[in-house]
Amino acid sequence: MNTPANAFSPQAAQRQRRRWRLALWSTLFLLLLVALTLLVVLTARHEDSRVQDQVDALATDAAAKVRSELLRSQQSLQALATHVPTPQRWRADASELLRQNRELLRIEHRTPDGQIDTAVDSPVAPPLFAMIGRDDLDFNADAACAAARHSAAPAFSGSYFVPLASGGGLEVMDLCLPVLDGGQDQGYQLATVSLQALLASALTPEQARRHEVSFVEGDGERLARSGLPRGMGVYRADSLVDLSGTRLRLRVDSAAGRPSAVPNLTTAAVLGLSVLLFALALLLARDVGRRARAEAALAEALAFRKAMEDSLITGLRARDLQGHISYVNPAFCAMVGFTADELREATVPPYWPPELADSYQRRQDLRQDPASAGLAPSREGFETLFMRKNGERFAVMIYEAPLVDGQGRHTGWMSAVLDVSAQRRIEDLSRQQHERLQATARLATIGEMASLLSHELNQPLAAIASYASGSLNLMDQPDADTPALLRQALQRVAEQAERAGRVIKSVHDFVRRREQLHESLGVDLLLEAVLPLVRLQARKSGTQVLTDLPQPAPRVLCDRTMVEQVLLNLARNAIQAMEHGSDPAARVLRIRVRQTHERWVTFYIADAGPGIDRELGARLFTPFFTTRSEGMGLGLSLCRTVVEQHGGAMDFDSPVPGTRTGTEFRFTLPAAPAPKLPANATGAPQTLST
Amino acid sequence: MSLNLDPTLGLPVVYLVDDEDVVRDALAWLLRSRRLLSEGFASADAFWQQLQAQRGGDAAWPGSPVCLVLDVRMPGTSGLELFERLVDATLLPVLPVIFLTGHGDVPTAVAAVKRGAFDFVEKPFSNNALVDRIEQALALSAAELARRREQRGRARRLAELTEREAEVMRLVIEGLPNKRIADALGISVRTVEVHRARVFEKMDVKSAVELANRLRDAGA
Repeated sequence: MNTPANAFSPQAAQRQRRRWRLALWSTLFLLLLVALTLLVVLTARHEDSRVQDQVDALATDAAAKVRSELLRSQQSLQALATHVPTPQRWRADASELLRQNRELLRIEHRTPDGQIDTAVDSPVAPPLFAMIGRDDLDFNADAACAAARHSAAPAFSGSYFVPLASGGGLEVMDLCLPVLDGGQDQGYQLATVSLQALLASALTPEQARRHEVSFVEGDGERLARSGLPRGMGVYRADSLVDLSGTRLRLRVDSAAGRPSAVPNLTTAAVLGLSVLLFALALLLARDVGRRARAEAALAEALAFRKAMEDSLITGLRARDLQGHISYVNPAFCAMVGFTADELREATVPPYWPPELADSYQRRQDLRQDPASAGLAPSREGFETLFMRKNGERFAVMIYEAPLVDGQGRHTGWMSAVLDVSAQRRIEDLSRQQHERLQATARLATIGEMASLLSHELNQPLAAIASYASGSLNLMDQPDADTPALLRQALQRVAEQAERAGRVIKSVHDFVRRREQLHESLGVDLLLEAVLPLVRLQARKSGTQVLTDLPQPAPRVLCDRTMVEQVLLNLARNAIQAMEHGSDPAARVLRIRVRQTHERWVTFYIADAGPGIDRELGARLFTPFFTTRSEGMGLGLSLCRTVVEQHGGAMDFDSPVPGTRTGTEFRFTLPAAPAPKLPANATGAPQTLST
Repeated sequence: MSLNLDPTLGLPVVYLVDDEDVVRDALAWLLRSRRLLSEGFASADAFWQQLQAQRGGDAAWPGSPVCLVLDVRMPGTSGLELFERLVDATLLPVLPVIFLTGHGDVPTAVAAVKRGAFDFVEKPFSNNALVDRIEQALALSAAELARRREQRGRARRLAELTEREAEVMRLVIEGLPNKRIADALGISVRTVEVHRARVFEKMDVKSAVELANRLRDAGA
């Protein structure tokens, strides 16, 4: 597209471009047409003028020839006049002269007064004055002789027509030559010249085949002609032959007519070339049209791809082998908050969180390592942490594939980057909701239980109170029936008191039934059940979770669900205690398990938070005591209850022993009588880390 | 404190509706210690059936002051449902209802009081205070019964009047003197006086003002 695209809309621009192109092509064709027409016309004209020039030259040539012929005749005649020994001899010479010069028809010798002295007719031509006598046609000869005498030089008469006995006639003219001998006028020699014969001698036979040559009068009437064809009257040239006494107009008329449409090879070649040129131009135009269409299609495809890439929500990122970013799409820019230029110019990707940049760099170096080049990144993608421009960290899912160019060389990596922070948030939210729901459900269960208990206890208590009040009423106004009534009332009171006791006992029975659900369980299994939830919560605040338990893991006798709840509660408390700490690197949650006694296993859950002050610590296990606005305050109290139901104990230390901050909660659970516990139960601690 | 009720109204009865036999018996015993008669029902339906039967046999039921002590939560028909039926049957003024509520039923009971229940008492209740409220409810019932009895007597007396006596009574209430009444009815003043005396006698009043008051109280 080389036209300026300053239109308002792409359609308008395209229309304008098309018009512009059309105009260009029209102009080209028009110019070509004009040029070719001019060429043809000029060629034709050139041809025209060439023929004309030829004819002109021929006319001049012919005129010169005629003149020279006449001059030769004149000289011959002069010679004849000069050497005249005898009249016989003159006659013989004249005859000879006539035989040699076909154009001369008759030679006369005249006396100074103009009378014909002797006359010799051409032996090769019919006698001239057979039809009309010489005297009747002497006017021209007289005039010529008068002129000759006057100028003392040869002079020609005007031409005149001499009819012939054969029916036709000849146009002739006379040449009068004054014969002077020592200044004495000795008479005249007069020769009659045939104009036709003159003309015949003016052209070569070659020329005569293609041209007509003639003498014409001023009004165009033809006096005499020669040449094989008749002139076409198209290419015509006149030439004047000036003679003393007269003037002849010689005309050459070419037999060639108007040049035809294709007069000759040159024009044909030019025409052919023009046609070829046109055809080529047409082909070119079609080719250009096709090219323009292809270009348009290509541009459309490009625009489509661009729109596609721009509209993607998935971030796209291309990196070369050195890790420099060569391409990012708008979605990626929007995700990390940096512009494409900023990303391309950065040496270290600015979206790497500074604290993780080293590990990312190692990961990248590892990939560039030729030893691991064969290790294609997994198609399942991997999850990592990026940073937005405002410093916010967010989780992304990256799917990476090698970039291979047209020659099959590996030039870099193409990655699709998905912002999964929203997804993580939703997961977090749903987990929290789930926990809240569970808590609510537990609370509802507690509430229901309380309601049931209070109802069950209310009835006997209400009855007891009624009997007591009634008895007092009776004793205020005793009568004969009173002792019997009082006895009855007291009996009922006893019954109801016993009933209330049964209710209490049933609660105990319930708890005891629960205790019978205790199972022997590996501590590792307990932790495995809890850790995913704990890690999920820990990731939000960037807390590291470290576990430390002996191998093989000790076994405990417990109600699995309840103890899991205890662990979850304590871990969550620990994470929340560190959420507002200043140093994210120090956020470490340690879960440690040790067999501290033959019959007891101790769990330690330590955080690095601000710790718990003494005053708060005193009330920590009180039911319905909480430091959080949304808490129920049952967490720690329930935990302790659960632990105590197991026969264990729960306690805490703040700060963590051996450090200056944090809190460590610990509780004990009865160890299961494990089959063959090894002597060194506290083996090498195994450390797991996220 | 003891209940002082018009003895002509008969012995007051307290109906106890509670699914808990223990509570019912204890309460009955307590009421008895306060010399109150009670009748217990184990369910709302049982009470409702007996109520229907008694009202069917005696349109003027109850014949004596009554009161209903009703547990809110019961299996089957709940106390609230029974209460709604009583409201629909316009029995409330003569049969005051005291709700017994357990833990968490207080808002329900408050709503019921707003709809006309006499009171509610939370379990476990302070026993003599409950009996005090029951006595107050019985007093209310007795007052309503007395009002009804009065109303019924007045209607009976009005029905005993002859046509002429009723005419004379209407004019007397309007405050016309005997002379004007005689003119209006076209009878002698003496006859008017006789009628007037009979009206006063039949309506059990001593003056025209008393007569007017009695009729106004009846809303006639």
